[in-house]
Amino acid sequence: MSSGGGLALADQSSNRRWWLLVAAVVIATLPLVFQDSYWRTNLIVCAINIMLAIGLDFILGYAGQLNLGHSAFYGIGAYASTLLIMKLGVPFWMAFVCAVVLSGAAGMALSIFAVRLRGHYLAIASLGFAVIVHQVLLNWISLTQGPLGIYAIKPPPDIALPGLPVISFGNTANMFYLVAAFAFLFYLLLDQLVRSPIGETLTAIREDEVSAASFGINCTAWKVFAFGVGSAIAGAAGAFYASFVGTLVPDAFIITESFTILAMVIVGGMGTLIGPVWGAILLTVLPELLRGFGDLRLVLYGAALTLVVLFMPGGLVQAVQILRARFGLLRAAGDAGMRR
Amino acid sequence: MLTIVLQQGINGIVFGSLYVLVALGLTLIYGVLVQINFAHADIVTIGAFAAYFFTFLFGGNYLVSIGIALMVGAALGWLVNATIFAPLRERGSELLPLIATIGVSILLQNAMLLWFGPIPYAFDSPYSNEVIRLGGGTFITWQNLIIIGVSAVTIALLYAFMKFTMMGKALRAVAQDRETAGLMGINPNQLIMLTFVIASALAGMGGAMLGPILVLTPFAGTSVIVKAFAIVIIGGFGNVEGTIIAGLAVGLVESFATQLVNPGLTDLIVFTLLLLMLAFRPTGLIAEKREENV
Repeated sequence: MSSGGGLALADQSSNRRWWLLVAAVVIATLPLVFQDSYWRTNLIVCAINIMLAIGLDFILGYAGQLNLGHSAFYGIGAYASTLLIMKLGVPFWMAFVCAVVLSGAAGMALSIFAVRLRGHYLAIASLGFAVIVHQVLLNWISLTQGPLGIYAIKPPPDIALPGLPVISFGNTANMFYLVAAFAFLFYLLLDQLVRSPIGETLTAIREDEVSAASFGINCTAWKVFAFGVGSAIAGAAGAFYASFVGTLVPDAFIITESFTILAMVIVGGMGTLIGPVWGAILLTVLPELLRGFGDLRLVLYGAALTLVVLFMPGGLVQAVQILRARFGLLRAAGDAGMRR
Repeated sequence: MLTIVLQQGINGIVFGSLYVLVALGLTLIYGVLVQINFAHADIVTIGAFAAYFFTFLFGGNYLVSIGIALMVGAALGWLVNATIFAPLRERGSELLPLIATIGVSILLQNAMLLWFGPIPYAFDSPYSNEVIRLGGGTFITWQNLIIIGVSAVTIALLYAFMKFTMMGKALRAVAQDRETAGLMGINPNQLIMLTFVIASALAGMGGAMLGPILVLTPFAGTSVIVKAFAIVIIGGFGNVEGTIIAGLAVGLVESFATQLVNPGLTDLIVFTLLLLMLAFRPTGLIAEKREENV
């Protein structure tokens, strides 16, 4: 699958803490640089897409399971949190936790269900699952209002700390800080996971399941675990999406959305964590910059996905490594766009 | 009631035979290559548009347009194999070709969306409105009769080709064991290309016949292909007989579900069937020794 570029990168990250600090500073300054609501919206969408991409990458790039149903977990998170809040009056953060747990459980259920399936069979089973979830959202009109959608979803509640001004999430800058903070947190969590023995276990299963099992690794349990973590993060992304956009329609979670997330992972570099982050940023921002050329967004996604698989299967991460090797710019790597 | 059952049975066979045409292509490719071609959907759509433009822009005959779509499909199949599958085969990855064809599919769909627009094209075959009355109050349009006839002849020809010709035997040999077939003097690369051309020709042709009975948009093929995926799994990947049975069965299930339950729930029923099949009988209706992926 991937060229193992992720491992080489991981070894070089002695100054990783420093790069995480830089990333935190960049997140803190971004809304100050981009003041207008159009670009702040894009920033929030970027952060949501980063969550989706790193979650899928954990399932696909590390555990080696081709999941084409990531849009379903995203949708389950969005609808679960919204319905809990609007129908049952559950407070936002409790609904958020429920949505994360529910999406994770759905991912684990699909994984347990498809546990005997690998490769192409899993791809089609997860695709089928995404079709089913979309159809349920569309047809269970008494619950989801079907294609009419749910409107007037409130942003997360204000936070009032004693002695500080009230933080309102109707403000796009605050909303961005919230979503970005969670994206950052999930990144750190996955980063810890893939550096721990768990990451090595998952990679071993990805590379050769039979050998992994012969070392006494319980492959089923770990695959279910990876699916659960990845889809729980997608659920969180869904809950934020609903509370940010304010409206929900089933078509936001059609299978094309799964492919879009897949494109972010592949273009960035599957099997590394930083790759999908850059993939998500690139494929969210680039189409906005190219808006003048008509509705090219998805044409671009398709072209990028195909060309990357054909010519640069390690994605942006591999491209940067090649550039580094060619110009010997080891020290200036940060300027080349690799934040680690 | 009997009339309704018979009528829905006819409709089910019409859709079922088209699903078989599309799904057979997927299953043939899987048979020789153990790969899935996601762009198969767009070959169906492009076949439908080719037939549409041939009949309405150039005033061509509808029956000839089916042949045109067949040739367009064959050419696209050649292109997809030459540009995507053949180069990636050397790298020996299991999932990369699938991901690459997802990219091709997104690219083609949205390029078509830019050119043709999202508004459905009214592809009226001259045969759509001519009805033959059958006994018991049931009827069939000439269009549907053409669909059943052309599909049946094509499937029979394909079956005969696979069973009785030298090349068909070679193809089955490659499907069973590519390396050994190579040692016997068969050129697997040529046969893989042949499979792609045949499979995609079937898809293009299916598109030309689906055009008049579906809503013709750039996404027409996708709605068919997800069902075709379900069909190849229910029938057993790489299994021609299983695919034919499963295709007709899905067409009938869909048709009766539309009539008896709720048209909106047909996809739900088909895919629930798929997941149940995967859980309890992942080798498909007709079990074959193909254990690597199950």
